[in-house]
Amino acid sequence: MRAFRYCVDEATASLWRGRGASLLAILTIAIALFVLSGFLVVSSNLERLIARWNDAAELSVYLADDISQEQRISVDQVLARNDAVVAAREYLSKADALRRFKRDFPDLATTADGLASNPFPASFEVRLRAAHSADDAPAKLAAQLRQTAGVVDVRYDRQWIERLSSVADLCRLMGYVLGGILVAAAVVTVTSVVRLALYGRKDEIKIMELVGAPIGYIRGPFVLEGTLQGGLGAGLALAALWSAVLVVRSREYQVVDGLADFSATAFLAPSLAALVVTGGMLVGCVGGFIAARTPR
Amino acid sequence: MIDAQNVSKLYNRSVYALRDLTLKIEKGDFVFLTGPSGAGKSTFLRLLLREETPNKGALRVAGRDLSRLTTRQVQAYRRGVGFVFQDFKLIPRMTVLENIAFVPKVLGAGSVPMRRRTFQVLKWVGLQHRMNAFPLELSGGEQQRVAIARALINDPVLVLADEPTGNLDPDLSLEIMNLFREINARGTTVVVATHDRELIRQVGRHTITLAHGRIVENE
Ligand SMILES: Nc1ncnc2c1ncn2[C@@H]1O[C@H](COP(=O)(O)OP(=O)(O)OP(=O)(O)O)[C@@H](O)[C@H]1O
Ligand SMILES: [Mg+2]
Repeated sequence: MRAFRYCVDEATASLWRGRGASLLAILTIAIALFVLSGFLVVSSNLERLIARWNDAAELSVYLADDISQEQRISVDQVLARNDAVVAAREYLSKADALRRFKRDFPDLATTADGLASNPFPASFEVRLRAAHSADDAPAKLAAQLRQTAGVVDVRYDRQWIERLSSVADLCRLMGYVLGGILVAAAVVTVTSVVRLALYGRKDEIKIMELVGAPIGYIRGPFVLEGTLQGGLGAGLALAALWSAVLVVRSREYQVVDGLADFSATAFLAPSLAALVVTGGMLVGCVGGFIAARTPR
Repeated sequence: MIDAQNVSKLYNRSVYALRDLTLKIEKGDFVFLTGPSGAGKSTFLRLLLREETPNKGALRVAGRDLSRLTTRQVQAYRRGVGFVFQDFKLIPRMTVLENIAFVPKVLGAGSVPMRRRTFQVLKWVGLQHRMNAFPLELSGGEQQRVAIARALINDPVLVLADEPTGNLDPDLSLEIMNLFREINARGTTVVVATHDRELIRQVGRHTITLAHGRIVENE
């Protein structure tokens, strides 16, 4: 306990004495962890978005204006036969489509009224089973529907979601790679900063060794100094990231209703944030440890 | 106390700093180690502080073979040995008091006994009135007295001094030597390396003379 108190006192005193260099180490750790966790925040938010879109994944089957009664029934039967993929289907007539448009976009309602004829096609709105949202069954169904007579278009947003999902993966990968490189750089910086503190006190260390001080008293303060730098750096990174999230949240660029709601941008999960702090302290600890053992 | 049997120390493959050294120093002895520059005086003291180990032979202190100590045993051994160097090796950013208290502090001593003992040794070297000064504000003789106080704080059984008066004028040198004599008078074994023959003549003790790593005189 006394040894720990000693290490804490010495480490904080040393941090303060070398505050310029310490700040440098803290900043490099902060930058490394900011980049790493920044990419994680972006990718996790993308994933959340993708998950929401996935849940809402729908297949829209647009019908020709001149579709016959039989053709419409056969389209309906195709959907009925595929009930392994289709959770629910709803027929939307041209009039229903216009009404829905007016409801969703009240500003444009008068414009729509001014049109000579109803431009909206009738459609089947198909809700897919969640279990199938990831495989290619919906895509096959869409292809089949496109071949069916009376169908003018099938809209299925899978590809888009998949592309976004690979962007999220890339984002995470970049975070790991860039973050990894920067973390390595941070370890090097902490090592040299702590080593600097160590050289500044080599007479002291020599005397400690000669009077038979325990290793913990000799190396402990330096390891702790690195650990403190790491913890402070991680705290700084999280604070910066938190402000960045707040800035994004306050922005007014809400793209179409419910599509991407920036005000709901999520921060790191608490466990992940704790991991970042622990990681930062570990980075500093490793740097301090390397510095404390090399010059002997 | 100290028992060297055929001790040899080589720094490089060919250069013998000490060659086949055999000697005994009794408990409570006051020994001068002398000889020309490069004779191996500092090397012998470094072996005694267990900063180095012999390449050949055995060096025992108080029955312990210094070559066969674990890290922890080295620490324990060093706690019983006080050392004083020619350049004092005080920490400039610490006051006199802090320099001395530094030793028990890093050995994990409690602060109350540590304070008491620090004042005691400070008083003993006659520097209690300078306890808040920094080393660079002191004269050479005063600095060396601080270093001696620091060496004494653990009640060592053995005190090693490498040219402790090398930076001091003759009067101060004698004063410092008198401190060592007092330490010795309380039963502590003292080994002082010096090439100051005049000082040895004045103090007149057991003197071991080295040359080229060998003993040339032991009287
Ligand atoms: N660290 C070292 N590396 C290599 N050689 C060394 C080292 N220390 C001492 N020596 C050599 O060992 C020999 C003995 O040196 P030592 O310092 O023990 O002599 P000394 O008697 O203390 O001399 P002085 O009176 O000048 O202090 C010398 O030849 C010296 O060059
Ligand atoms: Mg010497």
